[in-house]
Amino acid sequence: MDIDYLSDTIAYIAMGAGVTLKVFFVTLIFSIPLGIICALGKLNRAKALRGIPGALLRGILGGYTWIFRGTPLLLQLFFTYYGLGILSGGRIAFSPEMAAYLTFVFNYAAYFTEIFRGGIQSIGKGQYEAAKALGMNPWLTMKRIILPQAVKIILPPLGNESINLIKDTALCSVITVTEILRNANRVMSRDFNISALVIAAAIYLLMTFVVIQVFRRLEKRYAYYNIR
Amino acid sequence: MEIVKAVKLHKYFGKLHVLKGADFCANRGEIISVIGPSGSGKSTLLRLLNHLEIADRGSIRIDGQYIAKENAEGRSEYLSGKEVLKICSRLGMVFQGFNLFPHRSVIENLMEAPMMVAGLSKSVAAEKAEVLLGKVGLTDKRDAYPGQLSGGQQQRVAIARALAMDPEIMLFDEPTSALDPELIGEVLNVIKNLAAEDMTMIIVTHEMNFAREISDRVVFMDDGAIRATGTPDEILVNPDHPRIRAFLQKIVRA
Repeated sequence: MDIDYLSDTIAYIAMGAGVTLKVFFVTLIFSIPLGIICALGKLNRAKALRGIPGALLRGILGGYTWIFRGTPLLLQLFFTYYGLGILSGGRIAFSPEMAAYLTFVFNYAAYFTEIFRGGIQSIGKGQYEAAKALGMNPWLTMKRIILPQAVKIILPPLGNESINLIKDTALCSVITVTEILRNANRVMSRDFNISALVIAAAIYLLMTFVVIQVFRRLEKRYAYYNIR
Repeated sequence: MEIVKAVKLHKYFGKLHVLKGADFCANRGEIISVIGPSGSGKSTLLRLLNHLEIADRGSIRIDGQYIAKENAEGRSEYLSGKEVLKICSRLGMVFQGFNLFPHRSVIENLMEAPMMVAGLSKSVAAEKAEVLLGKVGLTDKRDAYPGQLSGGQQQRVAIARALAMDPEIMLFDEPTSALDPELIGEVLNVIKNLAAEDMTMIIVTHEMNFAREISDRVVFMDDGAIRATGTPDEILVNPDHPRIRAFLQKIVRA
């Protein structure tokens, strides 16, 4: 095994790392806001959402998080990439990457919905009352008082999910997305040599290391106060 | 002239009938202490005035404006949330548990609502906050976070925070009940200083000496309604009402 072979292999797998990062960032950028919106939808008790409209909304959101958290991500990938095409008679056909983006965004948003819901619910009602007594409307209260405190609480589980996300991107290889593991696997089966796998593992470790550091910093930034 | 007037308030929590037709009024500049056994509905009454709870029956007026009015079926009907919020912004509230915003420094706690609700500029809000911190004796804590303060200091910040919105009426919901005994005095002193400024104040309290000293009028509540009202001497020193006597005796013994 020579240096040229190694550097070629690294370059080839690194190309896959670009795809992996794309899936990672697209998922985070879209699923976090979607998760916040769904969490607020689940928690909203505004007048307009009392009775049937509210029950309907919570039912839909509950069904959504149940389906996406209750079935394997791998199955969801197959469904989006192959299943939707078959169901629609070929009218819906996503590229492998688009299918991966869609599946990952909806899957992770389902988890984030529950994480954010828990974070928001952990803020005591005294905070809402104090804000209201000062004349703050519900939107201001959420934006200025509740969400900033909820962020501190959800950072650790958010970090966990982000690490999971990096590793879950490897599942995209089964729908022919040319990410790290797919490229590594091709090199390995072509050359009957596991160095590609070791390189892939090293890249995953590097990525998760960076994510861990980012979240460590974020948590430190929120360490200046304690809730109670 | 009546700045707060509540008529025949009823409040249920599920099946529990907490307020059973409570009538209450406060005149401008009046200092009223509300006393009574726990569970008598004192805090609920206060929270109804500030729209933190919704009345089931009865009406509430703040400075002549109805926020809740009884309809034909005898149910309380409220103005829209926005309108109520606006009227109730004339009432400041101090809670038993302080409820400071833990993610904001002391001065930021005082600046939040003036900037976000009243629309003051940052510099004006900061100036005002400094004055109020001086008033409650916590200028040196301006950049501390609530978690770094003692209970007494937190409650003084909470009082300053409520004052920052220039309320015409201050509601105190057992402001010293969560405090260690040695910290009660500093909070009561701040409230006493406010009393000297002609602010309308409604204070739910278990501090009888304080109530006697500060109040223009003392209101005794029991079993969801106001059972007696009078001067501090009439209610606290020579009560002719047997239930007040029983209540005061219990407190003294404890």
